[in-house]
Amino acid sequence: MSATEVVFYVVAVLTLLSALGVTLVGNIVHAALFFIASLGGVAAIYLILTVEFLALVQILIYGGAVVILILFALMLTRARERPQALFGNTRPLGVMASLGLLTALIGAAVGSKWVEPADRDSIEPVPFEAIGDVIFTVWIVPFIVIGILLSIALDGAILLATPEDEES
Amino acid sequence: MPPIENVLVVNAILFAIGVMGVLTRRNAILILMSVEIMLSAVTLNLVAFAIYGKVEFGNFTGVIFAFFLIVVAAAEVALALGIVVRTFRNRATANVDEVNLLKW
Repeated sequence: MSATEVVFYVVAVLTLLSALGVTLVGNIVHAALFFIASLGGVAAIYLILTVEFLALVQILIYGGAVVILILFALMLTRARERPQALFGNTRPLGVMASLGLLTALIGAAVGSKWVEPADRDSIEPVPFEAIGDVIFTVWIVPFIVIGILLSIALDGAILLATPEDEES
Repeated sequence: MPPIENVLVVNAILFAIGVMGVLTRRNAILILMSVEIMLSAVTLNLVAFAIYGKVEFGNFTGVIFAFFLIVVAAAEVALALGIVVRTFRNRATANVDEVNLLKW
């Protein structure tokens, strides 16, 4: 077992524990902190899988923008100040459904034959230059479309969050 | 690097945890966080396939897909949080089971 592999298992366990914290913990702010930890763990898994580009994107977009947005929404909805039940009354059903899904997914992941290079540790990292080259040549149309989508979504979010008396 | 089965199992567990959060939580923001965890698991799966099949198939399109997925997820979070804040202003609650105006 190589050193990368050990690091992967440690990071994976930490990520899964923080994700469990998001779904199980009783305090909504603690859940948000666990959420940050699990996003960081996912970024670390990207690093282990040799995709530095996506690790940077993950930290910038999730760790920066999304977490700030979620914390702002938590403060704006003041869910913190009113202690109340955080779980719906169909909780056992939800747990059972997710366990069933987990069994099916793990069965599919373990029972299938996957394409894998003979020497896994010889996998070269994807260079930044190659990613930029492909995005701006082969995938340029989806790239422009996604830029338009993002600006429309942000406009819509601003419109939604504006108070009604300021709209006219 | 770990065998691809182990990466896929980790992603499967992450996805199932996200599903559990979506099905059991009642606060809209917590549900949104769980959805983000599910999206992370899917993105990780794409990246794993792209990286492990890079030599065999000669490209890494899955990485580009993952990049687009992250951008779409960011747009989705912005919109969803706008809706949550607006709902809270109109109905004074952020719990999804109390927003039942459209429920028959």
